[in-house]
Amino acid sequence: MQPEKFYYDNKIVRNFGIATIVWGIIGMTVGLIVAIQLFKPGMNMGNQYTTFGRIRPLHTNAVIFAFVGNAIFMGVYYSLQRLLKARMFSNILSQVHFWGWQLIIVSAVITLPLGLTTSHEYAELEWPIDIAITLIWVVFGINMFGTIFKRRERHLYVAIWFYIATFVTIAVLHIVNSFELPISAFKSYMVYAGVQDALVQWWYGHNAVAFFLTTPYLGMMYYFLPKMANRPVYSYKLSILHFWALIFIYIWAGPHHLLYTTLPGWAQSLGVAFSIMLIAPSWGGMINGLLTLRGAWDKVRDDVVLKFMVVGLTAYGMATFEGPMLSLKQINGLAHFTDWIVAHVHVGALGWNGFLTFAILYWLIPRIYKTELYSKKMASFHFWIGTLGILFYAIPMYWAGFTQGLMLKEFTPEGMLKYPSFLETTLRIIPMHMMRSVGGTLYLLGVIVMAYNLARTMAQGKLVANEAAEAMPLEPVTATTDGGSWHRKLERRPIPLMVGALIVILIGSIIELMPTMTISSNVPTIASVKPYTPLELQGRDVYIREGCSNCHSQTVRPFRSETERYGEYSKAGEFVYDHPFLWGSKRTGPDLAREGQKYGNAWHYNHMLDPRLMSPGSIMPNYDWLISQTLDTTTTRAKINAMRKLGVPYAVGYENQANADLNAQAQQIADNLGKDKIKVKSDKEIIALIAYLQRLGVDIKANKTASK
Amino acid sequence: MFKQFTENINGHQVYLLSSLGIFLVFFIVVAVMLFRLRKTHIDHMSALPLADGDTPTPNTLIP
Repeated sequence: MQPEKFYYDNKIVRNFGIATIVWGIIGMTVGLIVAIQLFKPGMNMGNQYTTFGRIRPLHTNAVIFAFVGNAIFMGVYYSLQRLLKARMFSNILSQVHFWGWQLIIVSAVITLPLGLTTSHEYAELEWPIDIAITLIWVVFGINMFGTIFKRRERHLYVAIWFYIATFVTIAVLHIVNSFELPISAFKSYMVYAGVQDALVQWWYGHNAVAFFLTTPYLGMMYYFLPKMANRPVYSYKLSILHFWALIFIYIWAGPHHLLYTTLPGWAQSLGVAFSIMLIAPSWGGMINGLLTLRGAWDKVRDDVVLKFMVVGLTAYGMATFEGPMLSLKQINGLAHFTDWIVAHVHVGALGWNGFLTFAILYWLIPRIYKTELYSKKMASFHFWIGTLGILFYAIPMYWAGFTQGLMLKEFTPEGMLKYPSFLETTLRIIPMHMMRSVGGTLYLLGVIVMAYNLARTMAQGKLVANEAAEAMPLEPVTATTDGGSWHRKLERRPIPLMVGALIVILIGSIIELMPTMTISSNVPTIASVKPYTPLELQGRDVYIREGCSNCHSQTVRPFRSETERYGEYSKAGEFVYDHPFLWGSKRTGPDLAREGQKYGNAWHYNHMLDPRLMSPGSIMPNYDWLISQTLDTTTTRAKINAMRKLGVPYAVGYENQANADLNAQAQQIADNLGKDKIKVKSDKEIIALIAYLQRLGVDIKANKTASK
Repeated sequence: MFKQFTENINGHQVYLLSSLGIFLVFFIVVAVMLFRLRKTHIDHMSALPLADGDTPTPNTLIP
């Protein structure tokens, strides 16, 4: 049999590489802007489109799906072709994948600042974009499996299993977390409500970390690290064992994001147990990576690429040790909702994803351009300033997290909250936030230096767009070659491998999600909890549009420090009409679950106009545009109809009367504001938002009054 | 420290125990498969990234 000649497609790898760098710089710059807004609210430039609540999701989406996403495709397209000894299946699909993904990112850059959001974290994009993501993901899948089918290497290396698991799991996660009922071109309601919605979201959110930020990167590590160190992986058996264990266990861990909430206790316990078990496969991967460098540690001293890999792997080890620790209820009770979580996430993002991406870029760009890196000194500078950046970022954030977490829980000897004002704790950590933005600046500076260095490298070389290679075609499987264990057989059968991975991730998903979805005793209802009025519903959508849940939670945990501060702890039945749930994951400001009727309407009006009028020193931005913008009531009918379809008990025909009720309630609030000498028309957005805020947590109080 | 953990289960131990059981069975199956793999096959698989025909560039010559 003659060897076959073929060409690797390097151009698509280069394109994804450039996209990685460009979106990386954009995403991190937006991150820096939002970080500065947390101590200098004026950095929103007085503009609704660049205010924290709207562009914090832009930052997270840009770094996760644009920076890391493009880096994944760069690494997969490079390594897949070489591991399979075949060119990508279809040039056209590669192009469609590349441009489709960039278009999705551009649509996110446009829609998120406009406030078009589902409010589900890391899944904020509205339904038309969700559909586009699904289509492009399928294109990626066809291109990947097409390449696998025409391969010239019979066995699939472990990196490819990680890619396959990534493909199939992200598809499942994205589809299940995107069940939305559209009410207009860019507005939809989640099909799930309250606790169920929260469970689906954090099943998704946690596994986006697992299968977007971790498994593809482990696959890339298993390919690129042996290449960089020029030695085989330390233990191939360990790589197989930790692959199966990791994908099995990870999918169960989501509920650790919902500890002490109204999620059923057994689901929380299950999430905790599997989170702790997760240390083993995570560390299996890290140790396998670090030990691959055995006998090559002298190279680490000279080779900046390996330096990035070592710090990246160490950051992975730290983050995956800390994650299980944070899922312990006692630690979680303190850390959750604070900057500790922000620090934890960034050790993973900046260290693991960032540094691995940089290492691969520095290794790969000179190779596909058949040249040397333009400046090793600059790359070394990038390594050191990046590492310093991570430290300057993480340490102040840990410090801020401990400080605020402890302050919020502190009682005086008399049994009163020592810091009853939430703002006092916020002001205490402002210096840490300033330091954090210095860390972010250093890290970003390193990326800009890398962009320059790589641009010069590209300029001095010439892209080998189609790299020639040769390999023997696959022989048909005969009785003699078909021997070996089951697993060896599985390694050459991509579809059973994918189905196997799918089954493994579905086991945990089904056991965790189904009981809460189907057994009504898991979500006890409360008779006094009624659907929102049309005005409150519209106000809720303003709350979602402005991204209030990025800074304010809506769930009071059963701690004395929280019930003293906010009021009665939250019950599952309070959220049954909440499509979507708005519990949030971070308390930059206080919880709002019991905000209703705490202050007068005038307080809210003035607070939205300029928060510092009511809370001197507050870091909340002004929301003055809500006072001038008119509420769009043309959507009320569609919203009521959609909610009814989702099971909210609005009477049949209520949609015809809804706007009349809305106007009447709005007029009441406007009249009430008038008594405090605030002149505002009843058709402004602020009125709807006030109506919603005044409703929060009120129903359960009514229940108490009735039962007395 | 595990008091809250065990108290919150409220008769739902079946979820925890069956989950642990499923995982153990799965883990043992994978481990058994691993032990059945041949040494030559393992060597072949671990050498795959190094044997993809990439030509080394001047700044990282293979020693």
